[in-house]
Amino acid sequence: MKNLQIIETFGHYVEQLSDTNPGRARALLKTGWQAQNLKYRFAPDKKLLWADQYLAHLMMDTMLKPLKDAKNSVLVSVFTPCELMQEAGLSPYNVEAFSCYLAASKAERAFLQTAEDCGISETLCSYHKTFIGAAQKGLLPAPRCIVYTSLACDANLLTFRELAALYDVPCFAIDVPACRVEVKRSEDDRHNLPPGENKMEAPAPWTDADVAYVADQLRDLACFLEEQTGRKIDEESLRGRIARSRRTLENYDRFQKERVDKYIPEDLVSPMYCGMTNNILLGTEEEEEYTEKLLAELDKAEPARGKRIYWMHTIPFWSQAVKDVFLLKESAQIVGCELAQVANLEHHSEDPYEEMAMRLLYNSLNGSITRRIDAGIRHAKETKADGVVWFNHWGCKHTLGGSQLAKKKFEAAGIPTLILDGDGCDRSHGGEGQTSTRLGAFLEMLGGQ
Amino acid sequence: MMDVLHDPGSSGRFACARERVAAQLKDLAQKYGVYKGRSFDFEAFRKAFVSRERTQEPHLAVLGARMGEELFEMTQASMPLPVVNETCVYNRSVAWTYPGEIADKLSAARAGEPSENLPTDCTGELLENRPTNGVGELQANQPQDFSENHFDALMDWYAGELLGQIPCMRMTDVTGRRRLFQDPSLKGMIYHTVKFCDFYSFEYAEARSHTDLPLLKIESDYTVQSSGQLLTRLEAFAESLELNPELAETILAAEGGPGHSGDGSNQRPQSHVGPAAKSGTDSGRGKPHMGKGYYAGIDSGSTSTDVVILNRRKEIVSSMILPTGAGAAIGAERALEQALQKANLDREDIDAVVTTGYGRAAIQVGDKSITEITCHARGAHFLDPGVRTVVDIGGQDSKVIRLHEDGSVKNFVMNDKCAAGTGRFLEMMARTMEMSLDEIGKAGLAYDEDITISSMCTVFAESEVVSLIAQNKKPDDIVHGLNKAVAARTAALVKRVGGAEAYMMTGGVAQNKGLVKTLEERLATKLIISDKAQLCGALGAALYAAELS
Repeated sequence: MKNLQIIETFGHYVEQLSDTNPGRARALLKTGWQAQNLKYRFAPDKKLLWADQYLAHLMMDTMLKPLKDAKNSVLVSVFTPCELMQEAGLSPYNVEAFSCYLAASKAERAFLQTAEDCGISETLCSYHKTFIGAAQKGLLPAPRCIVYTSLACDANLLTFRELAALYDVPCFAIDVPACRVEVKRSEDDRHNLPPGENKMEAPAPWTDADVAYVADQLRDLACFLEEQTGRKIDEESLRGRIARSRRTLENYDRFQKERVDKYIPEDLVSPMYCGMTNNILLGTEEEEEYTEKLLAELDKAEPARGKRIYWMHTIPFWSQAVKDVFLLKESAQIVGCELAQVANLEHHSEDPYEEMAMRLLYNSLNGSITRRIDAGIRHAKETKADGVVWFNHWGCKHTLGGSQLAKKKFEAAGIPTLILDGDGCDRSHGGEGQTSTRLGAFLEMLGGQ
Repeated sequence: MMDVLHDPGSSGRFACARERVAAQLKDLAQKYGVYKGRSFDFEAFRKAFVSRERTQEPHLAVLGARMGEELFEMTQASMPLPVVNETCVYNRSVAWTYPGEIADKLSAARAGEPSENLPTDCTGELLENRPTNGVGELQANQPQDFSENHFDALMDWYAGELLGQIPCMRMTDVTGRRRLFQDPSLKGMIYHTVKFCDFYSFEYAEARSHTDLPLLKIESDYTVQSSGQLLTRLEAFAESLELNPELAETILAAEGGPGHSGDGSNQRPQSHVGPAAKSGTDSGRGKPHMGKGYYAGIDSGSTSTDVVILNRRKEIVSSMILPTGAGAAIGAERALEQALQKANLDREDIDAVVTTGYGRAAIQVGDKSITEITCHARGAHFLDPGVRTVVDIGGQDSKVIRLHEDGSVKNFVMNDKCAAGTGRFLEMMARTMEMSLDEIGKAGLAYDEDITISSMCTVFAESEVVSLIAQNKKPDDIVHGLNKAVAARTAALVKRVGGAEAYMMTGGVAQNKGLVKTLEERLATKLIISDKAQLCGALGAALYAAELS
């Protein structure tokens, strides 16, 4: 309770100061997060896996970098491939993660209101709106540049354009097609690969032309980043980084498959951290180390117990009703979150740009909603989930629109499914009583609690 | 399914965007041809392109997200100038260049003259130089004359045109939309957003801070639900246009001069307020008649019906506040009768009656109906000419009105359909707490604990209140939390409208001392609360009635 009051007071001061002195508000935010990082480092939650304790610290480090050195950061959407930025020496400054952390610091409401006061829609995703409001107030610093993708989230298309204008920084958009297109072109100009390079065979549903369309943009992105930083991107180093990304994702998939008979204590934020780091830190040594730590701890894990829930979309970590059910509970755990498992590639390319392009195209959130649902079913089965929660995050049209079809398909696949309405970031959209009733009844239905 | 690419293909790095769209078009034509057993009809394709005339006359435009036809008709009928639908879909056209012109452009290009939008591939090679492919069977019987029937080139041109239209807000580069706002004959904008289509709220936010033109924002869900509230906004906007001296001449000219009712479907039959209103009457209503120099204003709200009767010197001779009850018309008749009785007057003594409020259109006794926005502004200005911002928290909605120095409406905003932040919200919470409105109005002044009600939704907020009651929180603390929630919503409206000193609060909720104090703290200002606060709308209506005679 005392801890909650400290956070509430901290958030209140950050909100208040951002009205009058955004520089001081930012300094306060940085100090508060640094203090929290010290706690993660020296007094972590021992109930969590060591790997997840490490992850909390790693994620907080990632959040602090743009606050300490914004000019060497690049503002990105969560699904932007960041290996190129890492090669260019820029640290990722992730919009969705910052909003989450502001919400965790109980400082989101004033920023949501600021954005809405300017005319931004009340129905825009709160992960984006919180950041826009905080940027408008001057709390969050201007990055070196902005890179985003059109992948999955419509809010991306607006948020980053708005932020580029607000911060007056260069912006690069990666357009990821949602449908396959056959473009008949001569063999030679299909891919701008060096002579003798292997042409990868793209499996359905996307074509070589689709992969080339995205890969060409990523090559342009490399040039853009070189221009912004004056730093040459080394092809060999990039190749090594992409290979690390591949190993990291394989490690994580292995962990998910091998945790089936194990009890892994889970809080509400670790699966979310993982959703962020498996995207924006993919390619770093630290993220690979995290997945290695996960695998190393599997052997020591106790046998599985309690109900196992696979979670679709983000987790409302702030909700007491959700904490009551899942926070480090033996009776029920979240055993996976789709955001950490968005790119299952069965085929790979030796060309780093094509590999990244394929990760974007084959992202389970790209294209038809059935791709996302099918991936969810596969992942839920791999972890032997007793049920799935499809979280209808207010503002995510893709998720809201697909919810009924998802329920039907998950249940047809033998996985009981709860559609839970709420908001991952904005407390004002929560109905705690209803959340508690729905989750409680769902677990009772599964034979738990 | 066809993929809508987000870049129009204008910049170098997206040169292939057009090629991708063209490939999808060819694929569509091929598959549709197989499905229907028909070949591509070049002539029918060409005929589908109809040139679109753009008006050069002074007009208003509806911009933003697609507006339904019924709502657009309602908009047209409300406005004093022709209205052009420039919303999503309606503002798009690929008819500005004709397919037949491609051949001319190509000839020019061959002669070394620069030309735009020629069909080329990603490498910049003219498409006509490349072999045809993809739908050869469809064009087997067509002569291979490029200008007429070169299918690949035609689809490439078509893809370029599709991508080169006025961009949708989903596109990466939306600078092409500027032409919608830079039309010199544009005299005002109605910006329409659709619930859950967030794209256009960004453009509205930008337009709001960069335009000097009159601008109204309305939101719908593409249906005409809540048409009463939408109509109030539209009519209030029309009234503010008519009172705008810079537009008076334009409006008069558009209506064909004084007395002209207008013959276009884009025009309202009559002006409502302003110069024309002073000598005119509302269609379908009784004519103002010679009485004894008394004027009545009736404000038919969702909770109460208020009446004010003025004499020639614009002094209030009678007023009445009654619950509206089940029928607006009956409620208005009853309130007017009682107000007349109170002043020992008869119906015949009244020269003119103006009705306002949600029930205004249903009341037959009036000579004219004017929105409560315009009436509240007028009433507030009458009560205190220094007022520049009026905060009116009503039963059904809450609104904030910015005033010009003469008391006319400069700008206004209203809450959306949601009840949060309205008088109804407080009523519901009072019921939950088993308190009367009077009691809830006094509670909250002496709070100890600073409680925050986080839910915006009225239903969820109610359940939060139930939880707080279960936690034995003090009623004063809970009521203060509720007041904070309403004050936050109201302060947001004030910010949106650009509130300025002095502030007046009108409507019944102005009697709620706790809320007034919390709102004053939130706005860091003092609110003027007149003893006529609840009568402000009716007073404004009576003042307009006085001008009718």
